[in-house]
Amino acid sequence: MNNSTKLIPSGTRDSRKHTPKASMGGLYQRAVRDAFRKLNPKIAVRNPVMFMVWVGTIVTLLVTIDPNLFGTVKGDPNQERVLNGLITLILFFTVVFANFAEAIAEGRGKAQADSLRTKRSDTIARKVLPDGTIQPTSSTELRRGDLVKVAIGEMIPADGEVIAGLASVDESAITGESAPVLKQAGTDISSSVTGGTRVVSDELTIKISADPGQGFIDRMIALVEGAERTKTPNEIALTVLLTVLTQVFLIVVATITPISNYVNTPTTIAILISLLVALIPTTIGGLLSAIGIAGMDRVAQFNVIATSGRAVEACGDINTLVLDKTGTITLGNRLADEFIPVNGHSLSEVALVALAASIFDETPEGRSIVQLAEQLGAIANFDRTLAKGIDFSARTRMSGTDLPNQIEVRKGAVDAIRGFVRSRSGEVPEEFEAAYEKVSKLGGTPLGICQGSDLYGVIYLKDIVKSGLRERFDQLRRMGVRTIMLTGDNQITASVIAEEAGVDDFIAEATPEDKIEVIRREQSQGKLVAMTGDGTNDAPALAQANVGVAMNSGTQAAKEAANMVDLDSDPTKLIDLVAIGKQLLITRGALTTFSIANDIAKYFAIIPTIFATAGIGTLNVMGLKSPQSAILSALIYNALIIPALIPLALKGVKFRPLTADQLLQRNILLYGLGGVIAPFIAIKFIDILLPIA
Amino acid sequence: MKKHISHTSPSFPIADLSDLWQQSLKQKYPIYLFLAICFNLIIAPAVYAANAESFTKFQAYALGLLGIVTLAFSIYLFVVMFQPEKF
Repeated sequence: MNNSTKLIPSGTRDSRKHTPKASMGGLYQRAVRDAFRKLNPKIAVRNPVMFMVWVGTIVTLLVTIDPNLFGTVKGDPNQERVLNGLITLILFFTVVFANFAEAIAEGRGKAQADSLRTKRSDTIARKVLPDGTIQPTSSTELRRGDLVKVAIGEMIPADGEVIAGLASVDESAITGESAPVLKQAGTDISSSVTGGTRVVSDELTIKISADPGQGFIDRMIALVEGAERTKTPNEIALTVLLTVLTQVFLIVVATITPISNYVNTPTTIAILISLLVALIPTTIGGLLSAIGIAGMDRVAQFNVIATSGRAVEACGDINTLVLDKTGTITLGNRLADEFIPVNGHSLSEVALVALAASIFDETPEGRSIVQLAEQLGAIANFDRTLAKGIDFSARTRMSGTDLPNQIEVRKGAVDAIRGFVRSRSGEVPEEFEAAYEKVSKLGGTPLGICQGSDLYGVIYLKDIVKSGLRERFDQLRRMGVRTIMLTGDNQITASVIAEEAGVDDFIAEATPEDKIEVIRREQSQGKLVAMTGDGTNDAPALAQANVGVAMNSGTQAAKEAANMVDLDSDPTKLIDLVAIGKQLLITRGALTTFSIANDIAKYFAIIPTIFATAGIGTLNVMGLKSPQSAILSALIYNALIIPALIPLALKGVKFRPLTADQLLQRNILLYGLGGVIAPFIAIKFIDILLPIA
Repeated sequence: MKKHISHTSPSFPIADLSDLWQQSLKQKYPIYLFLAICFNLIIAPAVYAANAESFTKFQAYALGLLGIVTLAFSIYLFVVMFQPEKF
């Protein structure tokens, strides 16, 4: 639980997208090339629905070459050859269009990967040998544990932790953020550096934490390129459903010949293959992987790196969001607003002790206390060089200074200060309780302040809830997502902030262990939990959560434990990630509904026309001209609907914060009913346009 | 320059044939095709016997092969159903 010193990006979600540094020039040419490359059976076999179409294309090609290959045709063989040739051409383009959809989604990732590769150029690092001497070494020869020195203007050769020094680092290569970030040793945050970024002031000594090829940029390249892409559980489930449908229709079509012969309507192999292709769910089969890749891409464009598609998808299934108060719900920097004296001390005395307790505190809160104390006329009356700063820790929950005359001044969480005073045999007056309750009720964070056993008063740190969060939490609630706020603040402050922000639940006076405890409790109820974190102490909870988002400003341990890394280090992005995950699932669901609903129209286009002589010609509700025209119209629609839906698959269905039931109703109405009606109109229209009698 | 011609008697190249055999075992797709054609030797005569009046022998063999391809595809779909993560 750290307070990031980085400014939180503001503005709407779309306005904050700034990753697309990659040039998208030549994307379509590359996608067209890849669409044909994917015709290789070894690649095609991974998609059973489209592989079926591909095998069908080869068979129809054979009957185009010799229409009498599988049996003597009754009509004119040349006429049959033309029809078979057209079917072959349409089927071929159906496969190519599906490959194109996948290739274009992959192409965006590859363009990003190429852009990242340029950042990964080899550099000569100054390696520190055990005897302290410096040896120039290629960055590719550096191994985990090696020490290197990086000075101003030099590129950081590999990922690592700063062990000495303080410097500004330009991380725009990976984050797109032009403002340099301060990196220093010994802090839980701001001590991890990424290979490929550049030191723009001073010098750092870095301990390398990744072997060549295992660094952050290498992992990003592999991910955006899709090299590590494995199917997500939902994709696997959908693949099984599509395969079952394909299997059922294959059996139906393969056994239809005896029936057609029985009703004196013999059919050709090409017509049977056309019927099969029209019946199997080719639309979703062709777009399925493109939807998944586009989901990853949307997350990447949002400056978040996901370690797997599974993580992105899990975002859409999240039931509980565990959010830190500071930096996520409230603005990270709380500022000292008022000193409230107790125990008969004057305001100037409190200001003096507050100044002494905060003189070594470099956090924004500490600096604001110093500023307020100085405004009240306090001046440090001791030698700073002889005093010792006591850092804040999550365990003690206080910080302060040991003055040269052995006097301890402390500020921190109210109960921690109360405990400190009592441990020094001091008394805690009633007015202290009243003062901190007053601050808490205002929604501020009260900090107790004492000098040894003498309690001086309460510092009022003003907390500001980020604007628009209440609406976001309301949206999440409507979608069935519960929000839990975790804070180190006391019960009263936490309840006021929770009320103001509109979270569903809160845990006050939380320790890092509470975070993992609350995640385990929610998971034991069968819920999926998401959380953000940046410190090493967050790593176990990040690993435990179903979706753990680490801040880029955080430690290496946090980044390795999480399944997503936010390059902007913006904790509120977790809410956006839930929306992106849900959008991915909704898009996939909508297109699956549409694809299966399409079958009804294609069925009505083909079956009544080819079996018209068997007495079902009245079912030709579209009044299609002839069996040939009906088959070609249905297949042309089947092929064209894939490229027509590529933009929707890549962009995603517009996200609406509705409940699962409302979404289902909407999807059935729009994509189910629409999927039934649209092809009827489209197939009839194509039938009119086709110059076939 | 005079060419040197070896007059040693050529022995039966068992090692070479063994290597070829090992190499051929690695070529999965030609083996599948070969097995399908062999299997068709059983299927095609049955197709021909059932419909001798409407098919030529060549058509019966082509139809037999198409039946085998359909069956193979159906088996492949079952494999996808039961081991979807492999695809």
